[in-house]
Amino acid sequence: MTHPLYGTTAIAGVGLRQFKRGTAPLPERSLLVEAILDACAEAGLDPAEVDGFVSYGDDKNEPVRLMGDLGTRRLSYSAAVWGGGGGGIAGAFGVAAGAILSGQASAVIVFRALAEGASGRMSAAVMAHHLNDHLLAAGLVAPAQMCAIRAQRLFEHHGVDPRIVEDLVRASYHHGRANPEAVAYGEDFDIETLRTSRWIAEPFRLYDCSRENDGAGALLLVSAERTRDLAKPPVYLLGCAQGTEAGWGDLMENDADALYATGGFRPVARDLYAQTGLTPSDIDCVQLYENFDAQGVMSLIDHGFCTVENAAEVIRFDNLIAQGGKLPVNTAGGNLAQGFIHGIGLPIEAVRQLRGESSNPVSGARTCLLAGGPGAPTVSSAIFASQVL
Amino acid sequence: MNHRLDGADAPYWQGLEQGRLLLPRCAHCACWLWPAGHRCASCGGIGMVWEERPLRATLYSWTRTWHRFGFTESLDLPYVSVVAEVEDCGVRLMGRMDDVRNGAGPDNPRIGEALVGRIGETVVGDDRIPTIIWSRAA
Ligand SMILES: [Zn+2]
Repeated sequence: MTHPLYGTTAIAGVGLRQFKRGTAPLPERSLLVEAILDACAEAGLDPAEVDGFVSYGDDKNEPVRLMGDLGTRRLSYSAAVWGGGGGGIAGAFGVAAGAILSGQASAVIVFRALAEGASGRMSAAVMAHHLNDHLLAAGLVAPAQMCAIRAQRLFEHHGVDPRIVEDLVRASYHHGRANPEAVAYGEDFDIETLRTSRWIAEPFRLYDCSRENDGAGALLLVSAERTRDLAKPPVYLLGCAQGTEAGWGDLMENDADALYATGGFRPVARDLYAQTGLTPSDIDCVQLYENFDAQGVMSLIDHGFCTVENAAEVIRFDNLIAQGGKLPVNTAGGNLAQGFIHGIGLPIEAVRQLRGESSNPVSGARTCLLAGGPGAPTVSSAIFASQVL
Repeated sequence: MNHRLDGADAPYWQGLEQGRLLLPRCAHCACWLWPAGHRCASCGGIGMVWEERPLRATLYSWTRTWHRFGFTESLDLPYVSVVAEVEDCGVRLMGRMDDVRNGAGPDNPRIGEALVGRIGETVVGDDRIPTIIWSRAA
């Protein structure tokens, strides 16, 4: 039997406003309003008709406060996925779809907004969500350090070559170079920049880390049926899974030994493929949340695109780029090179890629997997498609 | 004393204050439970007993921090943070480790190597948090 989420809702519009950290010309909520207006304008839907909102990662913009600017007539659904990091980003689409399919809302905006003036540093906020005296005593106070410890085990204990991350970083910058909206637009990236950048927390140097931007992103989700009346070709949600399983979670580093050096996606990926009947070989491109490059590698392994053993054969520059790669990843540049607004640029690129609007089009791409923030106690992933297969 | 006495792991903090590592076991099936909680999901039993463990462990993973993050102002850069697996109980604790750069033996901590601990403290703002500081076993 077809899963209820399979192709029954679709994204009808997207909006993205991005600026260098600390330079947004508008207050955070105004940036969000602009992104929502852009998403509605793309779809040809009156923003006053939006009746649902879903976010993730402790976003501070409670939807009721947007009603005045949007002219919202009836706010019937507002929700957020639990978790302080980017783990919930893909799950937000499942929550939004659930609202639509159960008749609780009909036009739902999935959003994330972040401007330093209003929300402070995102990394600090993520960590404040988790901080306790065990972490403080160990001097472990930032996501970079927590992810570094996991990466160290992947490299040193599991024997994955640390250089593997370089191809992922190069592919990200290669894509960002061609994307006018990307922070790396027009830049020639030399991998020596990474190799010689300063240490943050070993094994991470500065360029192993995604660096935050100010901005806001919004995606409009409606029923598949409703997209027929809207302006843009629909990008369907085929499946979505979130959460974790026993042996992973907020365990103060006591995760199961077999899971410790992963991104935490094994149950989520398993459910996602079971829901959709798809396998990794059916995925035409991936938008991969890489807070840190090593966690991006873990996420690709967790989702079955490669294994610990053959990761170095699969995660190669030629293979990861839109121009002829078998596994194009982060075709707008990703968090590393497009820009990092807690990952909201990733589903937006998924939509653009599947509409054929990407700056780095993947020839014939029909499916795109969105992998949420790796390493978080709860994570999520989703699959989008240009047609219901 | 402070907020550290509010949680299920209060005896852990009290133990460190008294110079001892105390870890919780299920009062019924004796399995080790960490993080400290309320109920043992293995046997369904409610209640924990706290047992002293020696400060011996193996290194599970580590990072050496070079960037000055907020809340770390009292620590000299760079410093090493570790996840240490306490001997004979499988419980992993976060802590700090004496750096081994420029010492005898390898310059980096090695996953799997034996550690011995002592109890020190970490100053964060006005607070002094008891901390296990590990070093390479001789
Ligand atoms: Zn028990």
